[in-house]
Amino acid sequence: MRDPNAIDFWRGFALVTIFINHIPGNTFERYTFSQYGISDAAELFVFLAGWSIGIATRGRDGVPEPPMKSVVRLLNRTVEVYRAQLTVMLLALAIIAGAALLLDNPLILEWHNAGGFFADPIQSVCGMALLTYQLGYFNILPLYVLLIGVAPIFVLVGRFSLVAALILSGGLYLASLVFEWNVPSWPGEGNWYFDPFCWQVLLVLGFVLQRWNARSDTLRRWSHRLFPAGIVIVLAGIVLAVTEIRPDPMLVPEPRLLFTFEKTYLTPARLVHFLGVLLAFAPVYALLAPRIGRIVSYLTQLGRNSLAVFSMGSILSLIAQLVRFQTGGGLLIDMLVAGSGLIALGLTAWFVEWRTRSKSPRPRT
Amino acid sequence: MVRRMAYPQQVSEAADVSAARPRPFIRAAILAAVVLAASASPPRAEQTADAGAGEPSLSMECRVPGAQLYTAAKLGAVRAALAEKRPIKLLAIGGSAAPGASASYPAKLEAALEQALPKVDVVIDHRGLPGEVASGAAERLRTMVVEAEPDLVVWQVGTHDAIARVEADAFESALSEAVAWIKSHGIDVVLVDPIYTASMAADADYNRIVEAVRTVATQQQVPLVRRYEALHYLSSRSDRGEGHMLGRQFRLNDLGLRCMAEHVALTIVTSLAKTETPAEPKAAPAVPPLTGTQRAPG
Repeated sequence: MRDPNAIDFWRGFALVTIFINHIPGNTFERYTFSQYGISDAAELFVFLAGWSIGIATRGRDGVPEPPMKSVVRLLNRTVEVYRAQLTVMLLALAIIAGAALLLDNPLILEWHNAGGFFADPIQSVCGMALLTYQLGYFNILPLYVLLIGVAPIFVLVGRFSLVAALILSGGLYLASLVFEWNVPSWPGEGNWYFDPFCWQVLLVLGFVLQRWNARSDTLRRWSHRLFPAGIVIVLAGIVLAVTEIRPDPMLVPEPRLLFTFEKTYLTPARLVHFLGVLLAFAPVYALLAPRIGRIVSYLTQLGRNSLAVFSMGSILSLIAQLVRFQTGGGLLIDMLVAGSGLIALGLTAWFVEWRTRSKSPRPRT
Repeated sequence: MVRRMAYPQQVSEAADVSAARPRPFIRAAILAAVVLAASASPPRAEQTADAGAGEPSLSMECRVPGAQLYTAAKLGAVRAALAEKRPIKLLAIGGSAAPGASASYPAKLEAALEQALPKVDVVIDHRGLPGEVASGAAERLRTMVVEAEPDLVVWQVGTHDAIARVEADAFESALSEAVAWIKSHGIDVVLVDPIYTASMAADADYNRIVEAVRTVATQQQVPLVRRYEALHYLSSRSDRGEGHMLGRQFRLNDLGLRCMAEHVALTIVTSLAKTETPAEPKAAPAVPPLTGTQRAPG
């Protein structure tokens, strides 16, 4: 197993945040950082995925692995994530349907737009396999499948020139904002909640920054210098979030996506805010790590097993919602569901690592 | 208890204003009269619409007395679209009716509206809006409205917030803000409150959410489809003992889904009959009109 490190720590932190935020209305939601800025944990999660690709496609000595090996590695990961999405969707639908039957309450069928599935299973099941049918809160993994699926292109381009990869990605991002490109949902009208054409920029940014960071300490020096700017952006984000000031999408000039705060399109305001958060909080891990050892080891364990933990988190947050709904919520229930959820996430990570250990004859280092 | 937002005086006052483009209004009024007269028992305030019986517009299984079915209010933007003889763009939000299927809610709503408003083309954009109005969904709604640029938003609202046990006050203010925003851009709104189901009937939080939708509809002066009451009425009426595999509540829910389109269409047509002209009239004196005459570009 990897030793605790900043990447796994922040990824674990993002996973916990997403878990809490996916139990809407719960008491702890208002204590997550997502409530105090323009961007949230989804940005962090995708950025770190890109950063990890930078690490994974190199040997320990920093020498890049053969290009085909990287491609196959990423395709393998794509299949894993796709499989996870199908499993999680099926379980979610079964939990929703089961709860509706058990409690004799058809209202529950409407949960997260699952009603569409039960009303039209013929089209919906195709859409499920195509990833174009997504339940509310179950829309990050489809994005992830697509992003890791196209990541080989950027990784290969990056072998020649990281700047070229960044320009390619940034160009696609800007074009998508201007022309409002997105992947359609089906069945049903509308588009993906996370626009892959826009969100890919964060993955590529994570990948490119990881490479630059590994090559020289120029990036580190600059991020040190820009630290005050990060603080200013974070403070501005807090003010905007608390006062709920945001541009009216009907009144902004065209192309409007350059000016709004929409999560779907990872609009520039969100991107800038996220980079500010990155600058402001990058040094935090080194400060915290020696002081909160237990929490660090818990979060890094989650981060090391992010796919399993995320999948389990999606299911657990759905169950938590049902429990809150049926019991009426309240602080005690919230403490119970959030607490047992966090323990279950830790157990999930532990179980995955135990299984990996018991499979391989020798413990990997 | 039943709040109606009828403006009988203003309808007649508006006669001279509407003289410029009288036909759509009259046509809609006649149609509304026919539709209204056809419903099982016309709402009390609709004296003008009482006369004359036509063929039933609500199908047998969906028949609910008007007072229990809707609250009408003005629909200026739709009226303007009618006056300009252009297609009515309708953004239907929420609802589990199978998207895409021919018998689904949007398809039925389109058919019901085009039947009630002949020679009018209705274009429906149906979107799901998962998430709570009180946290995030209201923002996504804005995006949808900007993308669809509709004349009318028909919004089934409250279910997700009820499920998430959102505080009714927080829900109410978020919904009120969202509706005011839509109206401020010269777009009409029809609200549809959550479903009735026996297991939720005694749930105080749930009833507070339903009540909050009504309050917002009243405050913002937008039509409301009282789905909760309509289904409650239907549940008390249709008490046949036939065994449904999934139990009675599920059968009621199915019925509610089947009737949604008819109920929404009737509410829209009735509301249109109350709306005078494209030029914005002065609304009820108690509440200042939130709808400006401005229309969003495009």
